[in-house]
Amino acid sequence: MRRPRTLRALVIAVSLLSACSGSALGVFGGGGDLNGVVLDEPTEKPSFVLTDTSGDPYDFAEETEGRLTFLYFGYLSCPDICPVHMAQLGEVFERNPEWKEDSAVVFVSVDPVRDKPEEIRAWLDGFGTDFIGLTGTEEQLVASQEAAVAGVAYQVPDENIGYTVAHAGQVFVYAPDGKGYTQYPFGTRQTDWDNDLPILMNRQ
Amino acid sequence: MTEIAFWCTALARPWTWAWIAYPGIWLSAILPAVGYMRAIRRHEAPTSSRQTGLLLAGVAIYWVATDWPLGTLGAGYLASAHMLQYLLYTLGAAPLILLGTPEWMTRSVLRRLRATGIATRIGSSLVLAALVYNLLMIGTHAPITVDALRASQFGSFLMDVLWLLAGFVLWWPVIAPIREMRHRSVPSKVAYLFLATTVVAILPASFLTFANFPLYSTYELAPRIGGFSSISDQQVAGLIMKLVTPIVVWATMATMWFRWATAERDGNTGASGHSVSL
Repeated sequence: MRRPRTLRALVIAVSLLSACSGSALGVFGGGGDLNGVVLDEPTEKPSFVLTDTSGDPYDFAEETEGRLTFLYFGYLSCPDICPVHMAQLGEVFERNPEWKEDSAVVFVSVDPVRDKPEEIRAWLDGFGTDFIGLTGTEEQLVASQEAAVAGVAYQVPDENIGYTVAHAGQVFVYAPDGKGYTQYPFGTRQTDWDNDLPILMNRQ
Repeated sequence: MTEIAFWCTALARPWTWAWIAYPGIWLSAILPAVGYMRAIRRHEAPTSSRQTGLLLAGVAIYWVATDWPLGTLGAGYLASAHMLQYLLYTLGAAPLILLGTPEWMTRSVLRRLRATGIATRIGSSLVLAALVYNLLMIGTHAPITVDALRASQFGSFLMDVLWLLAGFVLWWPVIAPIREMRHRSVPSKVAYLFLATTVVAILPASFLTFANFPLYSTYELAPRIGGFSSISDQQVAGLIMKLVTPIVVWATMATMWFRWATAERDGNTGASGHSVSL
């Protein structure tokens, strides 16, 4: 009598665990809702001019007009959040190359002292050769962050590398219509990007 | 200064080759090995050096799979390292520990753990053993479990314990140190090993290999190592599971089969299809 009951319990447990893992994959859900942090009121795409890694001026609003735009403020010595955000976006675009043409990923270095343009270029190339790297003077960088309503970055002393930089950790995304509907904090999964990008691309 | 922690866990920082000391892992390997050596010295019946060597090899594989660097990589950086750990536990450490443990010691351990009844049931029922093994295998590879357990040292410890347990369950009907607890029919054991390790395992392995998005947030959101993308890492994990398991299990199945066939031919078995020594 005991053995069949044990077996039945095991079969039920296996089924439940399989069901759990299925839901954890995030593949069977999705739908039309955005998975990013949806803003109460859409924001306007910020307007600022910085310098790209070729040394040319880059008018952010003008250059990215009509494209799905990803704006991120970070720095090359960042130990975790910056490289992971960039790697996530790089892998999403590698998997969906058809999205590249109508998108622009813009990385703004908020560590102008250490991050030289050629270093920014080399670092970004590790994630996507078409990712855009920008830098500028302290004043220009503060202005760009304020324009995006991002927390303005500041240095934090660090005994190993001199200082780290506290900066906004989210990716600001602007739809082709120039409005920011969502932001993406650290922890955003690739399945979230896969879900949201087609929805945002259609907001022309 | 060297970092010290009880057990490996996911670290929210880039991977470096800076050594991390895990005294909890050392103790978990050293104490059983020391206890084993003391017990065999005190026991009147001698234990062969081959058997002692097998146990120490099993403990060594357990230690390599658990400690830095593989343990640290598997706990928080690479799904492929995580998979390698799992295979080292279930296909390396567990069977070698079973082969290296004398019968009298196994009886004593089971008695102390009050596990003689369940060990007898698992040994006699291949279906039950396969179910329990696959339950543990699927449960400990489900993203929800991996992401929850790998976030803490205790969770990671629990996962390692469950993996070792899964290995013991898988091999128990085949090579249990207590002869009467082994399943008797060799053809059934060969079929069991094939079905238990290959048929069900192909599902998670295929998910890992063919999913075009990362399944585990632990590895997806970890700093990448050497430009190795999270999806490539996951595919390698799936390939490791698919390729290594058959190499070990099928080699074991072939060995069992040929030994049994030879014994059958020579008329060494008491009853047709019954067990021969591995």
